[in-house]
Amino acid sequence: MKAGMEANIHNKTTSIGFVTVRHHPAHGYFGGYLIVNNLARPLEFHCTLPVQPTRAQQILYGSTLGEFVCGEQIARALVAKAKGTPQVLLSDTLAVLTLRHMQSIPIATIDFPLEINGFLSRPECQRENYHRFEAFGKHFAILPEFADDSEVIQGLFDSDIPPLDLIEPFGRIEEALMEANPATKAA
Amino acid sequence: MSNPDDSLSGIAVESHWFSGGLTIPFSTSPEHFSSDLLVDFSNSCACETLTYESMRVLPIQLSQTLPRTIGFAFPDSPQWTAPEPKISKTTPKILNADQELGDRESQDATDRDPISVEVEPRKTATRIRPPGDLVRLEDRLYYVLQPPLETIIQSAKLTFPLQPFPYQMEGIAFLFPRDAAILADEMGLGKTMQAITAIRMLLLSSELKNVLLICPKPLVTNWVREFRQWAPEIPVAVIEGDSAKRNWIWTNLQAPVKIANYELMMRDRDVFESNSLHFDLVVLDEAQRIKNRNSTTSEIVRSIPRTRSWALTGTPIENSVEDLVSIFEFLAPGYLRDDMQLKSLGKATRDYILRRTKDKVLTDMPPKLFRPAELELTGEQRASYKSAEEDGIFQLSEMGESVTIHHIFELVLRLKQICNFDPATGASAKLERLEADLEEVAASGQKAIIFSQWVSTLEVLGERLAKYNPLFYHGGVASNKRDGMIDQFKNNPKNKVILMSYGAGAVGLNLQFCHYVFLFDRWWNPAVEDQAINRAHRLGVKQPVTVTRMMSLETIEQRIHDVLEQKRELFNNLFAETGTPQNLGLSQKEIFGLFGLNVPKYLPKAA
Repeated sequence: MKAGMEANIHNKTTSIGFVTVRHHPAHGYFGGYLIVNNLARPLEFHCTLPVQPTRAQQILYGSTLGEFVCGEQIARALVAKAKGTPQVLLSDTLAVLTLRHMQSIPIATIDFPLEINGFLSRPECQRENYHRFEAFGKHFAILPEFADDSEVIQGLFDSDIPPLDLIEPFGRIEEALMEANPATKAA
Repeated sequence: MSNPDDSLSGIAVESHWFSGGLTIPFSTSPEHFSSDLLVDFSNSCACETLTYESMRVLPIQLSQTLPRTIGFAFPDSPQWTAPEPKISKTTPKILNADQELGDRESQDATDRDPISVEVEPRKTATRIRPPGDLVRLEDRLYYVLQPPLETIIQSAKLTFPLQPFPYQMEGIAFLFPRDAAILADEMGLGKTMQAITAIRMLLLSSELKNVLLICPKPLVTNWVREFRQWAPEIPVAVIEGDSAKRNWIWTNLQAPVKIANYELMMRDRDVFESNSLHFDLVVLDEAQRIKNRNSTTSEIVRSIPRTRSWALTGTPIENSVEDLVSIFEFLAPGYLRDDMQLKSLGKATRDYILRRTKDKVLTDMPPKLFRPAELELTGEQRASYKSAEEDGIFQLSEMGESVTIHHIFELVLRLKQICNFDPATGASAKLERLEADLEEVAASGQKAIIFSQWVSTLEVLGERLAKYNPLFYHGGVASNKRDGMIDQFKNNPKNKVILMSYGAGAVGLNLQFCHYVFLFDRWWNPAVEDQAINRAHRLGVKQPVTVTRMMSLETIEQRIHDVLEQKRELFNNLFAETGTPQNLGLSQKEIFGLFGLNVPKYLPKAA
């Protein structure tokens, strides 16, 4: 092997975190977190064991239960567990955005239709007020109290990332969740 | 399943419940609540008359535990290295011992710059799936979490001389993660390209360091040429030369890909017995060469220390399922047994074998048009045939219990030769038909390949078809002249015909510029015939390929034809995983049955 072939061509340090939560009617919530580099190669992956909200949580959090479980519990646990710190977090799950209150990395959701994959679905979120913006042909949403994050996100991608496919990694996470939890393939 | 207790206790909020607004929970029996709800009901009563003073504060203390996670980092892989453009222009660097010792920068005179195309984005991404035998979750997720193949190729700036077909991308994704695999695509679908690209990606991602590719001797130059086209930055070393030189190449030459031929493996077996060599991957091209697991070649190949084992063959089964079992002895020793039922065999091998046929994946590829030429023997041939057959059968009968398969084969071959040419007069119904067909082929500016199992037949045909300036391609032609001959056939308009033996011409050649194939006589099994036909009917073919199968009616050829059709059925049955075929090949009973004889009692029953 030539010396040049062993060298790492990735001198860019940009990394993006993709975090998603799926709901299964019988097993509850599953979270997955994938950090990729600027070439979409995986750097780190974490997923949760299934999380089933208790009756008390349902009572206490009511319509905000999804945000609590997805953002403050699952996404928070995943991001906390990772060794790497990405420049930005992207999600396809609105309920995850509350994570932003607990850490400093900008986080946005991308709006795209979810393909039906087994029995997993995207958790519902009751909140309606988001700061929305469009970039790279995609629709993004962030919490209004962190509206400035939109500039950070657009700036990062404008300068460094495209033509990274920002949707495709969610499919990888979903497959990984099903691989890690075979029970999710059945009702 | 997470412990609900954890989730509950994970609520980091100290809550205060006031009975004024929450009478329903308080009227509910406490056992309906989780035992972790730290609510003191001892003094509460739903019917109590409440006053501000009598309201009780009910604290719910939940711990701050977050959900449990599992995960891992990808610390060292994939460390991709993009090909260096400078090297691409001067590649392939075909190394041999002389070059390594002397001028390592010297190039093959025939080097040419590959035309580079980037992989087009596709709507459907090709994903790398973990193989079924991968057990550890972490190992499986490693592949599940890789980006689509198209993304990897684009970001690694890999270019190809031609845009790969989607099914080829699937083939690369199939090989990439597998330690044991058979790529059994029908001939002409680009197994070579798929294997080279998978090797290339594994080398560039540092998952492999050294690869050994073993192929039939005549195909070595073909592989070198294909590496030059599809992986121009990968240095390739050909194992060749005298013993000392080969030994040096085996042990010292630092090329990531080494190419050896089966014949050489016999002579260099000591190299592997010393146990000093280890390959990350060994690829067998035309892997049906090891279908006899007791052969020396098979034994040597199986003894090579290696991590991964791939087999490339368009015909994993030539005669019986034992052929496939033998190939698996190389891939995963002991995994299959000869006595396995066809259905369970299909199930067991499903994850290891990828086979596609042209009619499934190349729906827009021009078709193969089969034109059976079922001919009556000429009068002279019929007389000779009848006489030879009667004499032969009489002699076999006279031999009684001492008759062997060898005797049967002798008679079969004698009769088949008469079907080609009458030994006394040279009369030939097949040749008459062939000449008529070739008139038409040549008149339309086309070229034809003619296959026979005998060099002597090819020589006679060469004389009789002299006006078409036929070229001869058979085992007797030196390997270093073969490439030039193919080029001549392709480029010289005077050479309308190439005469090929099945043995030399059935594998590895690209003759898709030729649209007519004649099978002057029939081989023992249909897989070899298919390979021969697919020299012309392969990727890049622009027109339908017309295949003329010549067969003399009411002769041994017709009887063999019936057996061949049964074999074809076997092959199709295994890969369709449907039912059990009636016959698993040319059994002793069938061979003896060709002449209405019974199998002698002293012979074992299995063929």
